[in-house]
Amino acid sequence: MLQRKSVRVLVGITLLALIGAACSSKTNGGTNTAFKGVALNGAGATFPAPAYSALFTTFYQSIETGAAINYQAVGSGAGITQITAKTVDFGASDAPLKDSDVAAAPGLLEIPTVLGAVVLAYNVPGIPTGLKLTPEVISGIFLNKIKFWDDAAIKADNSGTNLPHQQIVSVHRKDSSGTTFVFTSYLSKVSTEWANDPKLGAAKSVTWPSGLQGDKNAGVAQKISSVKYSIGYVELAYALSNTISYASVKSPSGDFVAPSIDSVTAAGADLTFPIGPKTNVLQSTAAGAYPISTTTYLLVYKNQTDKDKGQTLVDLIYWIEHKGAEVAKTQHYAPLPASALAPIDALIAQITFNGAAITPSAAVTA
Amino acid sequence: MSLTRQTAEVRAPMEGSRRARLGDVLTKRIVAIAASGVLALLLLIVVVLATGGGKALHKFGFGFFTSTKWIPTEEIFGAAPYIFGTLITSAIALVLAVPVALGLSLFVTEVCPKPIRGPIAALSDMLAAIPSVVYGLWGIYVMVPWMGTTLEPFLGRTIGKVPGLGALFHGNPNGGYNIFTAGVILAVMILPIIASVSREILSTVPRELRDGAYALGATRFEVVLGVTVPFARAGLVGASVLGLGRALGETIAVSMVIGGFNGHIGFSLFHSGDSIPSLIASNFNEATTAGAERSSLIALALILVVISLAFAALARLLVRRANRQMRASFARAAA
Amino acid sequence: MSSTPLSLTTTSRRRLSRARISNRVFTATLWITGILALLPLAFIVGYVVRKGVGILSIHFFTRTPAIVGQSGGGISEAFIGSALIVGMAILFSVPLGLLAAVYLSEYGTGRFASMVRFLSEVLLSTPSIVAGVVIWTLVVVRLHAFSAFAGALALTVLMWPIIARASEDVIRLVPQELREAAIALGAPKWKVILRVVLPAAVSGLTNTVLLAVARGLGETAPVLLTSLGSEFVNRNPGKPTDTLSLRIYQYALSPVKSWHDIAWGAALCLLVIVLVLSVTARYLTARGRRNAR
Repeated sequence: MLQRKSVRVLVGITLLALIGAACSSKTNGGTNTAFKGVALNGAGATFPAPAYSALFTTFYQSIETGAAINYQAVGSGAGITQITAKTVDFGASDAPLKDSDVAAAPGLLEIPTVLGAVVLAYNVPGIPTGLKLTPEVISGIFLNKIKFWDDAAIKADNSGTNLPHQQIVSVHRKDSSGTTFVFTSYLSKVSTEWANDPKLGAAKSVTWPSGLQGDKNAGVAQKISSVKYSIGYVELAYALSNTISYASVKSPSGDFVAPSIDSVTAAGADLTFPIGPKTNVLQSTAAGAYPISTTTYLLVYKNQTDKDKGQTLVDLIYWIEHKGAEVAKTQHYAPLPASALAPIDALIAQITFNGAAITPSAAVTA
Repeated sequence: MSLTRQTAEVRAPMEGSRRARLGDVLTKRIVAIAASGVLALLLLIVVVLATGGGKALHKFGFGFFTSTKWIPTEEIFGAAPYIFGTLITSAIALVLAVPVALGLSLFVTEVCPKPIRGPIAALSDMLAAIPSVVYGLWGIYVMVPWMGTTLEPFLGRTIGKVPGLGALFHGNPNGGYNIFTAGVILAVMILPIIASVSREILSTVPRELRDGAYALGATRFEVVLGVTVPFARAGLVGASVLGLGRALGETIAVSMVIGGFNGHIGFSLFHSGDSIPSLIASNFNEATTAGAERSSLIALALILVVISLAFAALARLLVRRANRQMRASFARAAA
Repeated sequence: MSSTPLSLTTTSRRRLSRARISNRVFTATLWITGILALLPLAFIVGYVVRKGVGILSIHFFTRTPAIVGQSGGGISEAFIGSALIVGMAILFSVPLGLLAAVYLSEYGTGRFASMVRFLSEVLLSTPSIVAGVVIWTLVVVRLHAFSAFAGALALTVLMWPIIARASEDVIRLVPQELREAAIALGAPKWKVILRVVLPAAVSGLTNTVLLAVARGLGETAPVLLTSLGSEFVNRNPGKPTDTLSLRIYQYALSPVKSWHDIAWGAALCLLVIVLVLSVTARYLTARGRRNAR
């Protein structure tokens, strides 16, 4: 009677609701539900790790709640190895791919994401800020030619500072590192001795004449912060978060420029496409540009084999490029110049699944 | 001894009990297999390392042992700097630890008042149980800074100026991360082991020998250096070699303070370097498998195992011979 | 040299006084050496206690690590991981080691037994990194995964000779009379071992296991290459797992100052656990010896 009718109505409504839920849970084609993303694994450079950590977490928490991204900061070299072996979904490197890397991993795209600074971090008690270094001094220190902090060459630009008579302990990277690549590329540009030495030159790993080894950016930061009178090269974020002093570097125009979001952004204007093994924004002549700036790349394959992963990757990269600027800045990384967006969108458009281009979903384009 | 062993070997008197005999046979088989597992383990270690390292050894041949270059980006690997690093840090450790350990064990057996003898011995033994990583943590944040800012510059200013010997303490101590610091930390780590075994050895020196020497009017110094130590010589050397074995294989604490450097061989102890175990620990997880890097590291592990186990075997043989000697002379003295 | 009733010549008197001085100097030297030898070691323990005590809190034991820059995290996953890995290692190495020890003590007269005994002593000095490399090659590469299981196997390689050798000594200490009495009562050998010898040796065997556990907890190199470590609590033997030793290692090498504090706290915990185990083992040995008498 009344009871049976109510039951039938109830069953009918429940069935409708279930069917409706089943329809909307389909992730391809549902226009009223956004793509939620899937978990991704990535590995690579430690240089952008603080930025990526913030970017990936924000993306996961606010944009696509299914996209739990596990990023292992193992160094650029290891990152390239892993993406070439396809043991991860994406790689990350500060060094652009060499021709041999491209040959080993056909179809691998390198997409710049943010800009950062390689800073000369140092630990000299009594000099918390304001150290000025010229390219000649920097290369002299790392060539083990300038051995004391009160060397005439350093004194020349730091007349107001009380430099101690102590031996300089230089710190360099032990592992295969994009940060090393950027720094040694800079040294090769400013020092012919460095460029011509077969044991040195621009590479992810070189035979340093002297000094201490640190493992990854964090390890170098640890050595610098615990060893007095040491100096080494790390990304700006590592120096800031561990309250390590860093120096201003003389630019080609003759001014001493301190690394900051602004000075790195100025250098970023030099970024040209297409990306090749020689792409860099070092020694930028733009006004106020920090001489040792660099961009860093995410490495993804053009032909994705998993639709959901491919979609998540496309969404992630699109979001970082178009909407991630503020998050990157909180970690002291600079966004790419506006002029870079169009070529990058063209790169993203090359990512396909089964021949069809994967377009960024509504979750990130809205 | 042999009489009681024969008794243990006597079979169950109830011949008819099949279950008993089956049980015995089964037990003997099972435990024998477990015991042969020890042999199998040793073989496994050597075989696995030899096959893993085969790629590198094949590529570089005998030159692997003598080459001093370690350049991963050019696929050039050589073992010499790391064999050097391992041997030199262990040598420093021995030079520093053996006299002190001997002094400590002599202190405990000769001079220490009886009531605190036990606790002191216990303290010394327990200190052997401190984990390597704790030594490493303390090493980085306490020892390295002190060495780098105080002791090593002092050594550089004093002994460093002496011709010849001074070459050892020459150069920039790199803030304290160097071979010398690693050697000193190793010395602290192997001290308890050498002291503990030395103590055991010294305590088995027959009292009659020492008492006889005292009766002849010898001073304590003369008895110790003229009677006790010479008598226990083999065992004491064995104890030191045991300590050496531990020093050779010590990984984590060394890796945390030695600084790391690709391909260094030189006179200065103030230079950073690497030992075989510390190199493997810091590079293994990120070594590329495509090239020869990982294989070279495994080949280094093989070299390390051969050296350590050879020294360990030597040590055990020495200690055993010493024990047998002393038991024999004790039996003679008692007879 | 007590005072002599005889009258001494000048030479003997001089020799006597020289002897006394020599004794005093030498004794003093030995005292100084003894204290000097124990001083750095005592200093380390004191330093770890001082630096580590402050960080210990309930959060330290119950929370997992916080993200860089945030405070309030703990290292619960390291405690759980250490327990998991060392627990499994004990499960693997105790039966194997015990059986080998039984062989060596009850059947061990021939050349084979001597060789096995000698080799287990030699294997006691296996470098810990070698155990890691061997298990990495055999297990991690095959299974394409770092895991607690592999870590436990690496520790087993190190712990097995310890248990085998130490247990043999313990089992040998069981008085022969017990064995003979059992045989006289008609027990077959396997029953003698199982029902008489092993139960009599239980406290000594526990002692051995405690020492092996202490060793296993302190090892870093083998688990570095096989278990890798993790930020999360893991109870799955097939996944990467963190241990106290790995966490100390990782944090000690990081530039983050708050992590250094946590490393000292973890080092203190590890030290306390290891020393408590060693002390308990010593106490059990001493008590066992007293009871045996």
